[in-house]
This record gives sequence, C-alpha cells and structure tokens, in this order.
Amino acid sequence: MRAEFAKTIQKFAEKDKKLIFLTGDLGYSAFENLRTSIQERFINAGVAEQNMLDVAAGMAYTGLNPWTYSIAPFLILKTVEQIRNDICIRNLPVKLVANGGGYGYGVMGATHHILEDLSILASFPNIKLFIPAYSTDIEPIVSKMNKYNGPSYLRLGLSPLKSSSYSGFRNVQKGKKATVIVLGPLLKNVLEAKSILNQDIDVWVVTEIPFKPPIEFYKSIAYTKRVLVVEEHVLHGGLGHIITNDLIRKSIKTKFTHIFSKRYVSKLYGSQEFHLKESGLDAKGISKNLKQLLNG
Amino acid sequence: MKKQLHKKLHEKLVTLLFNAKAGHIGSSLSCLDILTELMVYTMKKDDKFILSKGHAVPALYVILHYLKKITTKELATFHMDGTKLPAHPSSYYLAKDIPFATGSLGHGLSLASGIAQSYKYFMKGKNKNIVYCLISDGECNEGQVWEAAQYASHFQLSNLIVLLDKNKFQAFGRIENVLGDSATKEKWEAFGFEVLESDGHKIDDIQSSFKNALSSQSDKPKIIIFDTVKGHGISFMENTLASHYDVLTPAQYDEALGDLNKL
Repeated sequence: MRAEFAKTIQKFAEKDKKLIFLTGDLGYSAFENLRTSIQERFINAGVAEQNMLDVAAGMAYTGLNPWTYSIAPFLILKTVEQIRNDICIRNLPVKLVANGGGYGYGVMGATHHILEDLSILASFPNIKLFIPAYSTDIEPIVSKMNKYNGPSYLRLGLSPLKSSSYSGFRNVQKGKKATVIVLGPLLKNVLEAKSILNQDIDVWVVTEIPFKPPIEFYKSIAYTKRVLVVEEHVLHGGLGHIITNDLIRKSIKTKFTHIFSKRYVSKLYGSQEFHLKESGLDAKGISKNLKQLLNG
Repeated sequence: MKKQLHKKLHEKLVTLLFNAKAGHIGSSLSCLDILTELMVYTMKKDDKFILSKGHAVPALYVILHYLKKITTKELATFHMDGTKLPAHPSSYYLAKDIPFATGSLGHGLSLASGIAQSYKYFMKGKNKNIVYCLISDGECNEGQVWEAAQYASHFQLSNLIVLLDKNKFQAFGRIENVLGDSATKEKWEAFGFEVLESDGHKIDDIQSSFKNALSSQSDKPKIIIFDTVKGHGISFMENTLASHYDVLTPAQYDEALGDLNKL
C-alpha cells in the first residue's frame, strides 16, 4: 500500500501548499517523486523520531498540515509521550503514517513489527486510526485524514484486493452461518478461509477505530449467534476487546472466537506469512477456527 | 523602574507559591529575571515563547498576570482544585501565550523548532518573527534536546533563540554529580549554534544579550547560556537542592520578603 500512499499524498501535497511531509529518514524507492515535486516541503528529519513528531506538532500549531512517516514501531513506540502530550491531548492535526503494520517487516525481526499500536493509540484522546484493507482504501482514507482537524494514524500493510466503495465498517460478503469481523488487510486470509470451507459466512471488515457498526451487523449476530474476530494485533486492547465490550454492553449473547497475534510462538523468525501461520492467522488457521465455531 | 518591576515580580512569585503551598520556588526564581526581560521588554506581537522547563511555570503565570493575560481572580486559583493554572502548563488554556503543555523535559526545543521552521519558510508575513525557548541545564540530559539541536542547526533556524537557565542543579543533585555539565558552550557550538553567554540576573546584561542575539546576521540558531542562581534572591534558598521542593513556612516567607526587599 506504500506505493498507493506515495502517489496519493503527492496529489494532495501538490494542491495544498500547507502540507508538509516529514520522514524519519525512510522511504527509499517510494518517496523520490514526492520529494522532487514538493521540494522544501519534503523534510528528511533524520533518525530522530521524537524530535520529528514535536516539530510536526509545532508546525500544526501554526496552521500547517504536517504528515509524518516512518516504520511503525519507530514512529509510535519510541514517541508515545510526544504523541500523547503534544499531539493527542493538545488535539493537533498531525498525521502519523506507519509502514509495516503487524508482522509486515517479516524476517527483519521483532524490532520492526508492531502488534500493540491499536491498544496504545486508541487509549489516547481525539485520535482516529485507519487500517486500510484494500489498496483502493488509501485514497478515501488519506482524504478523510486530510480533512480531519485532529490527530490521525494510518497503518499501512499489504493488500492485493481492490474495492469500488469505502466505509470504515463494511459488509464484504453476506452469509447466515457465522459473523466474521476482520481487521484491515487480513481480509484476504478470511476470504480464502471462507472458500476453503465453502460455507455461508457473513464477513465484515474494520478499517477505522473508533467505529459505529450499522444495525445490520447486530442483526447478523442475532441471527448467526456465532462471532469470529480476526486481527494482526495482540489480545490486549485490540479489535476483539472493542467488539466484546460492545456486545456485552448491548447484552447480545453469542458464541465467540478470537484469533489474534500470539507474538513469537516458536521463538523463530520468518516472513509475515510465517508469523501469521504461527498465530493461526493464515487462511488454514482461520478456516480451522471457523469450522469449530460452526460445529460448536 | 525596571529594577522595581523585577523586585515586584519576585515578591509576587514568592507570595503566589507561599499562598498555594507550592514548590519549584528555586527553579522559578532562577529564570524570573530572564523571562521578565523577555516577555515585558523584548518580545513582539506574534513572536512565540515555549517554556520547555514546564516546572517553572509559576514565573510565567506571574508575568502573564502582569501583562493582563491572566486575571487576578484566575491567578488566585493557582495550584488549587478546579484551576486553569496547574503546576505545569495546561493544554486547554492560554494557547496563544503557552502553546504547549510542557512538564516532561526535552520536548520544548523540538516544538519551538517546528514553529520557527514554519515561520521562517512556510508562513507568509511571519519570517521576521522570533521563537524563543527556555530550557534548563539539567534538561540537557534528555536525548531529544540534542535531536532538536541537530535539526535546528541543519535547517538554519536563525529565528530560534534558546535561553538556557543554567542554575547548576537538577532534580536530585548538582549537575556535575549527576551526568556532568551537559550544557557547555563547547557542546552547543559543536551542534552548530551561535552561543552567547550572560549573567542571568543582571538586567543590563540580559538585555544586551538579547540585543546581540537579535542583531546577529548568522544563519545559525542562537543560544544564550545564562549563568543563574537557583532560588535567586532568597538567602536561605540560593544554590540549594531543597529549593526545588520545599514549601515556605510563614516565618520563612517573612524572611524571604525581607531578602527580596534588598534586591
């Protein structure tokens, strides 16, 4: 999705002279065209992420529109205090664009993965989180972030899927036997799992936090009484916690299964697919969980 | 006249802290003269000031009250339940004069750099405006200060003037006994700053250091290293670590006012 993002942000930056793009020394073979196009508004802030985010906050205070970019953990873990104090509590429109959601950087290792971002960021005030599922989600999401006069976070992953419509909480395929809710680009694995099982499953994809599900979503659960949540994030504070909290508050009774990142099960490293498989987040693991849920 | 104002603000500050049973007396007094010269006599409309050592905000409140940005009624609520004026700045109040809620050390120079860069390169009509940022010597322990120093220097933020309140103390010891002197002239020169030095309490010295920094034609960001006294003006508090924490007793308050009367 990084290529789509680079193209889209260039389009927005060429129109808006207040848009400043700051990168933490990353973006090789992705942002060269953007740099040529917007010149001094493209800032390589060096390998100094805390400074970069506070510089962006200072710029936003004066009315500029700063977008910041780095590999996810460097952008949002090293800088949690800057994000909380100077961006979120202060409610400034600083944009945080993080590459490599979840295990996206694969064999680069644990330092390059992000499995806790939603938990941390969703606990801060004013911030909106975006987790695109389709490559075509980038444009509507960048547009929303650009308009929102508060902080926002974009978790970039990989997705071969395309869609002609966008909504932060979407019904992707209708079905009657179970209700599956998946976070962002893992939709691909859920759809594969569904075709392995060849069952009538209702599939929803979440690309925004916070979200407000439509009434059809609750109707689906009332009918199927079987819920599966799938996410590339640890148990604590992720999509599963948000969904279960919502269902309990609404006194909705259902069978419930949650597949989430179990970090490094074998303590061995590999590709994103390798790590997803270890946590049961590949198509096979999802179909196995789904089968148990359907038979339960 | 100027001297009278400095004295009056010293008394006002000490009274505010005494009434509120608040600490940070030493750190507020070490920068009060610098801030008075800056905010009352030097800053122009649309110049910005970031107090990076947020724990000295009582000094800022007293000056903003003098400048009629804070009402007497508001100032009387300092440090109390329901106040807009906590012991470190608020995110929700006075955003024009206190742009950021500092208190965790190390953030201010980056925030000020962002404003300075915006003014110098991207905002029409603001390229003559100056951004000031007060940091402390203990704060120079923070890595982010040096990230910001590299940044300000690389992007030639010549409209940024850093004021370093060098009172030689940090929260749990003298700076030389904690990590050594992180705030030397040589360090800041090595990071590409134009370095000026001044006494931090002699009014004429402070003022001429501002004039020199403002008249410099260099592309470098500036830093004025002010030699200051923690707890300045109160004999039993000067150069003591306790002045960071202690709350004045009624007897000490009387003694303090007596000392300040001699300023």
